[in-house]
Amino acid sequence: MRLEPREIDGVDPSLKELLQKRAERIRRKPAEAEDENLLWVAEFPVGEETYALPLETLRAAVPLRMVTPVPLSPPHVIGILRFQGQIVAALSLASLLGGRGWREDPAVLLVVDPGFGRLVALDCERIPKPTGLPHAQVEEARARSTGAVCEITLAGTRQVNLLDLGRLMDRRQGPEKR
Amino acid sequence: MDPLLEQLLAGFVDESQEIYERVVRSLMELEKNPAQGTSFDELARGLHTLKGSAATLGLEELADFAHKMEDVVLPLRGSSKPLPAPLADAVLKSLDVWIARLRATAAKGDLPDLGQSLALLEKVKPSGAAPAKEKEKKKKNGKGATAAETLAANVSRAPAPAPEPTLTVVPPSEDAQADSWRVSTRQVIALLHEVERLREVRLRIEERRREIDRALHQLDRLGIQAETAEARAALLGIRRSLHADGEEASDIVSSMEDGLKAISTMPVRTVIEPLRRAVRDICKATGKTARLSVVGAEVSLDRRVLEQLRGPLVHLVRNAVDHGLETPDLRESRGKHREGALAIRVEQQGNMLFIEVSDDGAGLDLEQIREAALRRALVPPEELASMSTLQLHQLIFRPGFSTKLEATEYSGRGVGLDVVRNQIQALQGQVEVQSVPGQSTRFVLTLPADLGSSPVLVVRCGEHQLGLPMAAVESSRAARTKDLHVGRSKAQLEHREQLIPLLDLGALVGLRQPEVPADGQPLLILQAQGRRIALCIDEVLGDRELVIRPLPAEIRELTAYQGAATLARGELVLILRPDFIVAGERRSDTALGSTRRALVVDDSLTARALHRTALETGGYVVHTASNARQALEQLRHSAYDVMVCDIGMEEIDGYQLTTAVRERAETDTMPILLVSARDSDADRQRGLAAGADGFLTKKDCVSGRLLSEISAVIARRKGAA
Repeated sequence: MRLEPREIDGVDPSLKELLQKRAERIRRKPAEAEDENLLWVAEFPVGEETYALPLETLRAAVPLRMVTPVPLSPPHVIGILRFQGQIVAALSLASLLGGRGWREDPAVLLVVDPGFGRLVALDCERIPKPTGLPHAQVEEARARSTGAVCEITLAGTRQVNLLDLGRLMDRRQGPEKR
Repeated sequence: MDPLLEQLLAGFVDESQEIYERVVRSLMELEKNPAQGTSFDELARGLHTLKGSAATLGLEELADFAHKMEDVVLPLRGSSKPLPAPLADAVLKSLDVWIARLRATAAKGDLPDLGQSLALLEKVKPSGAAPAKEKEKKKKNGKGATAAETLAANVSRAPAPAPEPTLTVVPPSEDAQADSWRVSTRQVIALLHEVERLREVRLRIEERRREIDRALHQLDRLGIQAETAEARAALLGIRRSLHADGEEASDIVSSMEDGLKAISTMPVRTVIEPLRRAVRDICKATGKTARLSVVGAEVSLDRRVLEQLRGPLVHLVRNAVDHGLETPDLRESRGKHREGALAIRVEQQGNMLFIEVSDDGAGLDLEQIREAALRRALVPPEELASMSTLQLHQLIFRPGFSTKLEATEYSGRGVGLDVVRNQIQALQGQVEVQSVPGQSTRFVLTLPADLGSSPVLVVRCGEHQLGLPMAAVESSRAARTKDLHVGRSKAQLEHREQLIPLLDLGALVGLRQPEVPADGQPLLILQAQGRRIALCIDEVLGDRELVIRPLPAEIRELTAYQGAATLARGELVLILRPDFIVAGERRSDTALGSTRRALVVDDSLTARALHRTALETGGYVVHTASNARQALEQLRHSAYDVMVCDIGMEEIDGYQLTTAVRERAETDTMPILLVSARDSDADRQRGLAAGADGFLTKKDCVSGRLLSEISAVIARRKGAA
């Protein structure tokens, strides 16, 4: 048996060219980002509100299936699931936020990396859409916020609640503060 | 060095280490038993292989050195007496030098001198042995002695009576290499990850099949129409193929996992067996006698963990002989057997590995510990004076601690148990010590064992699958009403003329209120921590050999579980901790009797989680059901203060469930709150007409609102009564 590394050199030249073009396109900044310094986020609804988390923390959006419930677990734990060989805890975002209402039963899990060396999955009512938030406003909102959520009011009074996953996961913090 | 030779040499080091271990084991057996039989064959074969392989690689000095060892050993073949102790000693020491020199050669380090060992071998060589030079001459023409030559030499040298000639001497070393490869750990781990991915592909195939089922269902709802008949037939065909593909993928995953498990794990025996040599050597050096017994050496563990356990185990065993065991005379005067008893017990419980190293020696001497701590200024005297026995025991893990006044070959340098503790902690484990003065000392190492597998009994409880370590399962049986003794607060089972506590698994893990088993319901007899209980479950699904992994950090503190394992189809199963189960009786004794109880019925996992969050905040004990059928089953056995029920459930919806609940006398007055993603007056009216006491949309299910609505429906129901 020979173990071959997955390298682009081994593939068909036309496929290689396609992959390289695709990678270049992904590397290129979106047009609107050239005009304004934006933080790219994944935006999604929780009940009547709009939440977002930095796109760089998002690893995958997977259907909310094959989750094994964990009896006796804290109520914010939906269960556990396997993701790329790891056992990951699936958590209820609305519950972590202190009990929010919801419009649709969540059908999606966002696998995120909160930055402390392990992944967690958060439930979500819909597949999030990528969007850009102005850096200046994000920084301003972060400076004001002491909790896991900072409110960013965009043009047209649209409000986005940007999540700080590190703080959200830190259970020692207790009930959500804004 | 030639790169090819370098690669061959690396392989030879590994091979030689295995042979070295076998030869050492044989030598130690032959010290106690007649120099004949399979142990002698193993010894002769090992030495010969070392010689031949060294010669093949051009390591002439090592080949000659192995040859000298053969000269010392082979003349004694067939003797009815054990090998003389000085001879065994000399060969063992020479083997140590041999393997050290080989390692140094491979690592291009300083080569240990052979002179002393050669002199030692010369000194113990049996008088009738043929001179080495004569043998060397024969060898010059080939890579090593042939079977016939060796056999002839054996016959000519063996003391009378000559042994029956056997052709067991020379399996060529190349054979051992021909059917094995060297693969790096990284490559194996990469393969493990690929298998995990394949398992997920298998899950996706299953998901596609379910999607086709849904499409078929939609077509069925349209009725059989000519326009859809062809599409339906095609979908059915794809569904069948996907099912077959999925099954095949599942088989491949299982088979690959089994293979990789076999590659990446090794029996603990490989680390423990060499310890017999350490015990023997220290006993010789200290004038003590000891017998090492091992239990659980067959447990298989991740090779990387095993490698790192080698050092701590050697240290603990050396300590046990040097510090723990008394001299034979002293033992006799204390009423003990002259031979000390050392024991190593290995046990894997799920993802935890327990290794106990114990001796029946003098135990930890608290006075000596105090003196040593003072002498080495490890603790201020005033602090030392107030220390408990347990705290004093912990001092032996401090850096620089030793009760010996002078350093010996084996101890006294103050470098010891702190290193053991650090090494075990580096493996995310811990070390504990327990000691009874004058009687025994026991070190317990607790380690996570990622790659090991263990037998698990998978059972069903409600809609949950749960695993129980087979080690804790004594037997299973069916419940018989005549054997049940059910009181107001507890139930017992008459089992083999004994009354043992009877617990309900569902109640233990908070899924339902305790149930008395129906006639014929399966019961498991469990044993842990010296306690035996009968456990009521819903169904035995079978035993599996599973790899148990730690739970994610978010729920790792749950005492109910050892971890989780993946079943063949990719679903996770939680593995229960037996000590949690057997302690269940005590927990239920202290359970609050007057707590308010709520039943949440919703087919959405997340909705159930959110309702639980709100209700537990309000002081409710919450049981959940994922469908109406299960809810009715729960209601048959348990009483609830309120039921919170989703409307849009498959098969039986919330309206139908409400009607069914109202039709039953036991639940006709139970407050019911319907919740729904729908928000229309028609839905509300339909719910109330079915018998619900309130209606709330899911977007309004904020904690406070849900609780106030529940209070309102309870109040309304009481008012109506």
